[in-house]
Amino acid sequence: MSGVGLNAYLFVAGLLFALGFFGVLLRRNTLVIYMCMELMLNAVNLALVAFSRYNQTMDGNLFVFFIITVAAAEVAVGLAIIVALYRKRRTVQVEELNALSN
Amino acid sequence: MNPLELLAIILLLPLASAGIICLFLRRGGYWASAVSVVAALGIMVLSFVFLLRWDGQTISGSIPWLQLGQDYSFELGFLFNHEAATMLAVVAFIGFWIHVFSVGYMDDDKDKGRFFGGLSIFMFSMLGIVLSDNLFMVFVFWELVGFSSYMLIAHYWDQDYAAAAAKKAFIVNRVGDFGFLVGIAWAYHYYGTADISAITAQIQSGQSGVVTGIGLCLMCGFIGKSAQFPLQVWLTDAMAGPTPVSALIHAATMVAAGIYFMVRVFFLLSPFALEWILWSGAIMTAFAGFCALGQTDIKKSLAYSTLAHLGYMATAIGLGFPGLAIMHMAMHACFKATLFLCSGSLIHACHHEQNMFKMGGLWKKMPVTFIAFFVATLSISAVPFTAGYYSKDTIIASAWGKFAAGHGDAYAWAFGLTMLGALLTALYMGRMLFVVFFGKPNSEKASHAHESSPWMTAPLVVLGWVLSLGAGWFVYNWGWADGVMNGLIPADVAQFMVDGYSHAAGGWEAAHHLFEQSGAHWVEWLSIGCIVAGFLFTFFFYGRGPSQDRLQAKAPGLYHVLERHGWFDDVYDFYVTHIQQRFADFIAFLDTALIGGLVVRGTGAVAGLVGMVSRSLHVGSIHGYVYWFIAGVLLFGAFALGLLR
Repeated sequence: MSGVGLNAYLFVAGLLFALGFFGVLLRRNTLVIYMCMELMLNAVNLALVAFSRYNQTMDGNLFVFFIITVAAAEVAVGLAIIVALYRKRRTVQVEELNALSN
Repeated sequence: MNPLELLAIILLLPLASAGIICLFLRRGGYWASAVSVVAALGIMVLSFVFLLRWDGQTISGSIPWLQLGQDYSFELGFLFNHEAATMLAVVAFIGFWIHVFSVGYMDDDKDKGRFFGGLSIFMFSMLGIVLSDNLFMVFVFWELVGFSSYMLIAHYWDQDYAAAAAKKAFIVNRVGDFGFLVGIAWAYHYYGTADISAITAQIQSGQSGVVTGIGLCLMCGFIGKSAQFPLQVWLTDAMAGPTPVSALIHAATMVAAGIYFMVRVFFLLSPFALEWILWSGAIMTAFAGFCALGQTDIKKSLAYSTLAHLGYMATAIGLGFPGLAIMHMAMHACFKATLFLCSGSLIHACHHEQNMFKMGGLWKKMPVTFIAFFVATLSISAVPFTAGYYSKDTIIASAWGKFAAGHGDAYAWAFGLTMLGALLTALYMGRMLFVVFFGKPNSEKASHAHESSPWMTAPLVVLGWVLSLGAGWFVYNWGWADGVMNGLIPADVAQFMVDGYSHAAGGWEAAHHLFEQSGAHWVEWLSIGCIVAGFLFTFFFYGRGPSQDRLQAKAPGLYHVLERHGWFDDVYDFYVTHIQQRFADFIAFLDTALIGGLVVRGTGAVAGLVGMVSRSLHVGSIHGYVYWFIAGVLLFGAFALGLLR
């Protein structure tokens, strides 16, 4: 671990997570929100790998594989839902997807 | 057939009759009366079979009814002993004859089915009180007689006064029954059992003591049901029911059930409770006697007479002679039933005119009724050798005997008040007799009166001519007749009729013996003097059968007090309308404002508020959901990291 230490990795991971976090909160396009969620996932992955490396164990890597697998499945399902929504409502803007209110 | 089975049959026979009438014969007319009268005849026959075969041993037996856990059990059972024998004889015999009378009296009534069904229910409940062996069962039947009384007083339910009288009777009895129920619970808690004979055994073996409070609480039930002071106001109103009901329930049996119950639990009464009963009874004797003078309605006057005589019975209990009370109850049942049935016969003949000053001169038109009424009048006034004489004069004399034996001044008061009651009895009975039967008819209705049908006159002959005269002859002589009269009644009949008086602790003989010891024979002469004076006075005062009360003309102030029953009803009215109603309004305010407003609606409002807040979160904005979701995650994470404690 020369040069780049654990803290740097964690800093980048936190940055990425914050980026994704505020993206989810502030953007209105469903697809962008969705991409931001993936960003948060990847931030966590990065942090896990960094810890794994730091602790000299394979636990973190194992976790990451699982997360990637689940995320892939999630993308398949989530995107399908978004596409179906778009076909039905002709929009992907969240504030217009309010059929359940009132 | 063992005795308990026979008792069960006697008890269930009227219930079966009531069931048949209420289920199938509601509109049955004469069929309903036939079923009821046959049931009453069955009760009488079976009771007498039972009594004649009875060997004088106490019979008891019970079956478990409810078992609550290990310690609590309620049972159903019979306890048959001497006082029950006398009471059973009275209820069965008089009940039957009043049923017969009812057939004649109610012949023009639309609702025969309801009336006779009610009579059968009443017979069932009354026999239940007579035979029950534990306090709970007594209470159940106690309430049942209350219900029958309520139902039968309100027989003419379309008349406002009858409906009001029924409600009054029921509600006033609730007051007494509350104390009764408290007493039962207390006794059950204290003695660990509600079985009367078990409690007796405990007290006799000295295992547990007598509690004054229990006796006083049980006395509340007696005060309500027997209409003693201060709950006496319902009995006169109860006269709104048909006359046979007044005779059976409100003179002969139900109101005496209170006395009977007191005799049954006599061992539970401490000296203090006895003194209480003594005072209450003695005061009632005189007070009700006065009130009876101020009534124009023949039945109300008789109702006051009933109150006075229940006072006599209570006095007998207070003196410590329960057997004497039972005896007076039996005698009183004979002559008071007769008097009521006579008044029923008169009322029926005069087309439901109840004002005695509208009658008059009826002795020629209705000779059978007149003779019965005359004999019963002599009997209730305790003319020597009539039925009433043996019990009533013994009560008065034994009060004197107690005083002479040095038991205290209270007995002198009791003696004075009961003697006054005897004088008043002669006064109001004389007044009634002369006003109704002498002189000339004072109204159109009375001048067309004629003797009632055999259905009505037969009971008058049996109860009036025979029993009011001779019911006391099997009691041993007092003074003159040296037991000669005993020969007139078969020995075994005399045996069970006399059982309740002599075997029960402190019966007639004990009382009589006490009086003999005091040696005050002037007491007898005084009471006879009272009777003669009362009749002479009323003869000169009312002998011509006046059309209005001469006392009212001569002393309107006094008469008004008597007429208003000494303002008791007004006091209660004031209490209910002003004090109790205010209190109830206050409680209602508490209920609506505090409990309804604050507690009930308050809890609802909290839920509503939470709902309002959380509703605003769920308005379909995805961003809103995400915000809250993330806020939750952050909060949770903060907890997990231990940043918040």
